[in-house]
Amino acid sequence: MKIAAFTKTYGKKMVLRFPACELPQGRIVAVIGANGSGKSTLAKVLSGIEPSDQRVRPLMGVSLGYLPQKSYGFHMSLRANLLLNGGDKALAARRMDALKIRDLEKARADRLSGGETARMALARLLMRPYDLVILDEPTAAMDRESTLLAEQLVKDYVRETGCTMLLVTHSLQQARRMAQEVLFLYNGTLVERGPIAQVLHRPEREETRQFLEFYGFAPEA
Amino acid sequence: MKSSLIQAIQLILSGNAELMNILKVTARMSLTSSLCALLIGVPIGIWLGSRRFWGRDALVVINRTLMGTPPVVCGLLFYLLFSGVGPFRHLKLLFTVKIMILAQVALITPIVVGNMETYTASVAPGVMETAKGMGFPRWKTFLLLGNECVYPIFSAYLLAFSRAIAEVGAVSMVGGAIAWKTNVMTTAIMQYTNQGNFSLGIALGLILMTASLIVNTVLTLLQKRLSQ
Repeated sequence: MKIAAFTKTYGKKMVLRFPACELPQGRIVAVIGANGSGKSTLAKVLSGIEPSDQRVRPLMGVSLGYLPQKSYGFHMSLRANLLLNGGDKALAARRMDALKIRDLEKARADRLSGGETARMALARLLMRPYDLVILDEPTAAMDRESTLLAEQLVKDYVRETGCTMLLVTHSLQQARRMAQEVLFLYNGTLVERGPIAQVLHRPEREETRQFLEFYGFAPEA
Repeated sequence: MKSSLIQAIQLILSGNAELMNILKVTARMSLTSSLCALLIGVPIGIWLGSRRFWGRDALVVINRTLMGTPPVVCGLLFYLLFSGVGPFRHLKLLFTVKIMILAQVALITPIVVGNMETYTASVAPGVMETAKGMGFPRWKTFLLLGNECVYPIFSAYLLAFSRAIAEVGAVSMVGGAIAWKTNVMTTAIMQYTNQGNFSLGIALGLILMTASLIVNTVLTLLQKRLSQ
């Protein structure tokens, strides 16, 4: 899956400069970086929510699913929300079971708690197969148990559909549990990319090393 | 005051013909104009609240200005347009219920637009981002947005109806408050009070308040039921 190079500018400030690259099929790629490094902007531009400066979508000809950082529950039942994105009732039941929200299936989605809404939104997005799925901090509002359930569901989905998953996360532990590859963004630039073990334990760039140390990851000397 | 009130209640209970005619004209005018304003204002409000385009802010400011249009100014404008010197004189609408409805629609549509625009602008980013994220086509996104705006539509209708039924300035100017033809409750209250006929004025006032109370109660209950 090829991504064309693009830039994104807000006002007069260029917040992201992303090079042309290729994403591996059937893998989970984590996007990590400090706040303001451009992770969410990358997700928004790739998904077409925000236009790039070049006004051309960096990804063409792929079906794309995107889960925004802030989940939204439509004014209908949780179950109806899931069925909006595909009418397979059995699959909806499986998704609800996987995230332990089956008991809330008749509850109004706009009245759920933050964590419940986040689980519902993830289950709703994964009701359909996509070529590329972009998740922007999908578990930020979830507790530990829900986070682990969500991670398992995402891994199962990737295995079932063979899609590419781009996971934007600020949790290095989550990146390590989920991803096979990692993109490290620093000040709006992709500074390092590689297999997860290599980037987390043997980073090549000083920026990556400092970031990992700050988050308590001690790279190998 | 007490005898006027008793007389007013007697007039209501006896089904006074003039009173019934005033009620009929008022109901026709306020229901038609508020429904028209809703049909025009809701799509415009949703569109304005959900889209970002050049000139949008200017349109919002213009609409907010129109929301505060003094009814007499609106009445004057319609009077000039449809009177013997106006461009639409050949339509012969002046001093008819139809022009009263038109003037009311012009007055209350901006209120509906403003109400819908404010609400839609608060939910549209979440709805559109989520819908686009799932790859929904535009028509489906717009339908979903419409579904999210069901409850404020009730509020918008309540506002529109309340304004329509209580308005006096514009309707008296373009309708002329002609007895048995264009006299509505508000204009009639003014007329009867000026004539010293307080009982009919009080009767109309009571009916006006009761009608407003009933419409508000029914719509609030309906809104509550739908939201459950």
